[in-house]
Amino acid sequence: MKGLIFSIKKYAIHDGPGIRVTVFMKGCPLDCWWCHNPEGKELAVRMVERIDRVGDKEFRSQEQVGHEYTPEEILSKIEADRVFMEHSGGGVTFSGGEPLMQPVFLRETLALLKDSGFHTTVDTSGYARREILQSVMPVTDLFLYDIKHTDPEVHRKFTGVSNELIISNLDMLLSEGKDVMIRIPVIPGVSADAVYMEQLRGFIESRNNGHIKEINLLPYHKTGSSKYRRFGLDDRMLSVSQVSNGHLDDYIEILKPLGIHVKKGG
Amino acid sequence: MRLREQSLNATETITAERAQLITRFYSSREAQGLSAPVLRARTFEYLLRNKAICINEGELIVGERGPAPKATPTYPEISLHSIQDLEILDSREKVYFKVSDEVKKIYSEEIIPYWKGRSNRDRIMERMTPEWLAAYKAGIFTEFQEQRAPGHTVLGYKMFRTGFLDLKKEIAAAAAALDFRNDPQAYERGEELKAMDIACDAIIMYAGRHAEKIESMASEEKDPARKAELKKMAAVCRRVPAHAPETFHEMLQHYWFIHLGVVTELNPWDSFNPGRLDQHLWPVYKKEVEGGTLSPDSAYELLGCFWVKFNNHPSPPKMGVTAQESNTYTDFCLINLGGVKPDGTDAVNPMSYILLDVIQDMRILQPSSMVQVSRKNPDSFVHKALDIIKTGFGQPSVFNTEAIIQELLRQGKSIIDARNGGASGCVETGAFGTECYWLTGYFNLVKILEVTLNNGFDPRTGVQVGPKTGDPSTFSTFEEFMLAYREQVSYFADVKIRGNNVIEKTFAIHLPVPFLSLLLEDCIANGKDYNAGGARYNTTYIQGVGLGSITDILTSIRFNIYERKRFTWNEMLSALKNNFEGAEQMQYDMIYNTPKYGNDDDYADAQAVSVFEFFHDAVSGKPTPRGGIHRINMLPTTSHVYFGNVTGATPDGRKAWVPLSEGISPFQGVDRQGPTAVIKSASKIDHLRTGGTLLNQKFSPEFFEDEGSYQKLTALIRSYFSLDGHHIQFNVVNAETLRDAQKHPELYRDLIVRVAGYSDYFNDLGEDLQNEIIRRTEHQDF
Repeated sequence: MKGLIFSIKKYAIHDGPGIRVTVFMKGCPLDCWWCHNPEGKELAVRMVERIDRVGDKEFRSQEQVGHEYTPEEILSKIEADRVFMEHSGGGVTFSGGEPLMQPVFLRETLALLKDSGFHTTVDTSGYARREILQSVMPVTDLFLYDIKHTDPEVHRKFTGVSNELIISNLDMLLSEGKDVMIRIPVIPGVSADAVYMEQLRGFIESRNNGHIKEINLLPYHKTGSSKYRRFGLDDRMLSVSQVSNGHLDDYIEILKPLGIHVKKGG
Repeated sequence: MRLREQSLNATETITAERAQLITRFYSSREAQGLSAPVLRARTFEYLLRNKAICINEGELIVGERGPAPKATPTYPEISLHSIQDLEILDSREKVYFKVSDEVKKIYSEEIIPYWKGRSNRDRIMERMTPEWLAAYKAGIFTEFQEQRAPGHTVLGYKMFRTGFLDLKKEIAAAAAALDFRNDPQAYERGEELKAMDIACDAIIMYAGRHAEKIESMASEEKDPARKAELKKMAAVCRRVPAHAPETFHEMLQHYWFIHLGVVTELNPWDSFNPGRLDQHLWPVYKKEVEGGTLSPDSAYELLGCFWVKFNNHPSPPKMGVTAQESNTYTDFCLINLGGVKPDGTDAVNPMSYILLDVIQDMRILQPSSMVQVSRKNPDSFVHKALDIIKTGFGQPSVFNTEAIIQELLRQGKSIIDARNGGASGCVETGAFGTECYWLTGYFNLVKILEVTLNNGFDPRTGVQVGPKTGDPSTFSTFEEFMLAYREQVSYFADVKIRGNNVIEKTFAIHLPVPFLSLLLEDCIANGKDYNAGGARYNTTYIQGVGLGSITDILTSIRFNIYERKRFTWNEMLSALKNNFEGAEQMQYDMIYNTPKYGNDDDYADAQAVSVFEFFHDAVSGKPTPRGGIHRINMLPTTSHVYFGNVTGATPDGRKAWVPLSEGISPFQGVDRQGPTAVIKSASKIDHLRTGGTLLNQKFSPEFFEDEGSYQKLTALIRSYFSLDGHHIQFNVVNAETLRDAQKHPELYRDLIVRVAGYSDYFNDLGEDLQNEIIRRTEHQDF
């Protein structure tokens, strides 16, 4: 059993509590315009050109994006940073891509990590068959759950899929008593406006059963554009500007009455 | 704050006052025929009797080493500046000292004629073997005592509770107990005690001269508020340091007179240091504030005045190699906060927080500051320190109390002396008030590798500096190569140690320090000088430099030559000789496709452990003449730049003359896995068998801004410390700021960055060091 991983990042401090290691898994069923990890989209190994410099000389080489790991190999990578997790209340986070795209590997790896005493988090779009989500629930301590938009049509336009499955999965997680942090991409022209934030507040309010531990506002950053170029992908966000800090503060104010902690970034 | 501005605006100058006084005294009749300690004590007394008394406008704590702030004296008995040296000091762009024509005139007419050939530097160089001189010139090691006296020592508890009149009683008792019948050294002890007694009288007299001057200023002062201040200051100088200090004000002034005494007697490395300042000040502060004799505001003002005093005292002018290994005005006075009490309990107190506020508000180069973090200290203490660290000022640095204590215990200190210890200078462990620990020089682990590659020959100076350990291409295994390298490390360690033992003797015989000896237990009881082994504990350090670089170099040889067989020895040696001209592909593979230290990769880190063990075994445990033991440290100050400057291209892909890695940090930019991996790599060596290691971690400011970031950084620190890491410091700057500072230095006069074990004004760094810091800043987004 192997999983296809495109990056393992240490000292990850924005993907759940404490100091974490985040495992980025390949493959994603969504096609979000603002995706900042486009290399995670396809569930396949890809070669891209890497350019390194030594003085004024450039060296070009082929870099493999996507490597296979067994659950045991993942465990040994995570094990190396155990001391930091224990001191900070951290753990491991699976992100992507969409980790639920590789369900058997994910479940097995989570189970192995939980057995070894690690706190486990899955960062998901929620777009997966209900049984798949159910299969990882017992071995996942926390879900980072993206709500990209509450309106099905807007959702379809900017991510390529409807949000019905996502919302029903969220409701299932909450009703099963799983802890969830809701993550809101704040995208100009999509979700970065006060009217939408009020609508969102209503959406969360109706589900607030004490298991929504935190709301993270993830402002759009232009960090993805160079990756788009490198992977020869079309960047649909070229004309979009970044979200100002002042606006974020306004949105936090709007969400405050929920009584759930709202945080900028992860 | 006005005093702070005065201090920032003062120009560093050379004053000939001390040189002139000492020359006059040494040539006087009075000075002839005295024993060495008594001669030095009389000299000390003469200096304090005749030097100008300087009281600055508005200050509350008084006393300057020179006749004005930043007027810096010279120490011709240690090292004599030529006229050309003075001209270099005057005209150099960074870390300059302005020299007036008057000073040059005094030098050429009085100082140089008397001291030429008679300084201790001359004495040392004359006594070193050809092997030592060749290694020194090749840049294999530096020599700390070449231009400065041994110091690296810190005031302990006792002297914050003792006056010099009390010490005189101790001296009298020790003198009375001398046994001239059975103790063959009784005469020497008697002379030393006589000298100590003279030094006590001298410092009391010196304080009295300040009191007189302040009293006369008070009588002329029109402003009633200042008049009252002056009267109080005079009263303080009448009491301390003769008597044990009883008030907060007296405590600070008491220390400051002691500090001035030490830096006037000689020019010891790391000036002098009040050590555990929060521990010393808190009880008296609490008593006075509760008793209504001191307001928190006036205490805070006194602390500000105290801080400025340190900043008014740049490190004595350094030349040549010494200037390059420690290229800074900083004189390494390191204030320790936090840690544990003598009974082992949490020592953080409200004064720890007050002093952190002072550090934040003053934002000046000197004194340096650090926090000792024990597992018993609260996180809020670390968070307060992070508040200051995040501003990019490079202070305070962060130390592991438990590691310090274990290092000291391993060296045979008592548990109480260990708990009363801390770190001084950059990162050096010491038992405060009881230990004489000399640093003797940096040791270039990378240059020794270059020499090994060349069968003992140094390509730069063209000299056979080391033993012939064989042409590397004849070694059939990596292990054989490592044996050759090990042999070279041992050889140069032996050369250095032999030199150290001779140099140590020159100080014991010719340059005793009776004043400094008063401050360190048990010099009085032993009737023995600080420089001759009088202190309770004696340690001599050699500081290893370039651990990151040497690890990457050895890993590259193991990986590229012996395992992957990517290239042969001859290909590699010829590429190194040509500084990778035409061998860029090889250089690229060395840099990008070879395992590196700092990534928690056991393959690479194994070489770090081997080198550490070689170096440790070559040095640690060797005895010294003053009854001490040689031990190792891993810290560079700025010597990694100098050592890079003398070292050709290396198998890690580093081009010739580029700086080496600093401390135990990875080479710039090669750590690609973030701070947890760096910490894991750095903790594979055994810190507890050193007297200090230095790990520099660069962070962009964003790491400090997010909610929860303090908890995570605190956890990162505590994790490192649970792995026995000795010290970690954070550089928080972005490259853009630094580049702008290079372009517009005038706008960044107060920009302080962490260099290596200390902070410095960015403007005062050489361009190469500035560039290096910019480069390493750019790599922080791993």
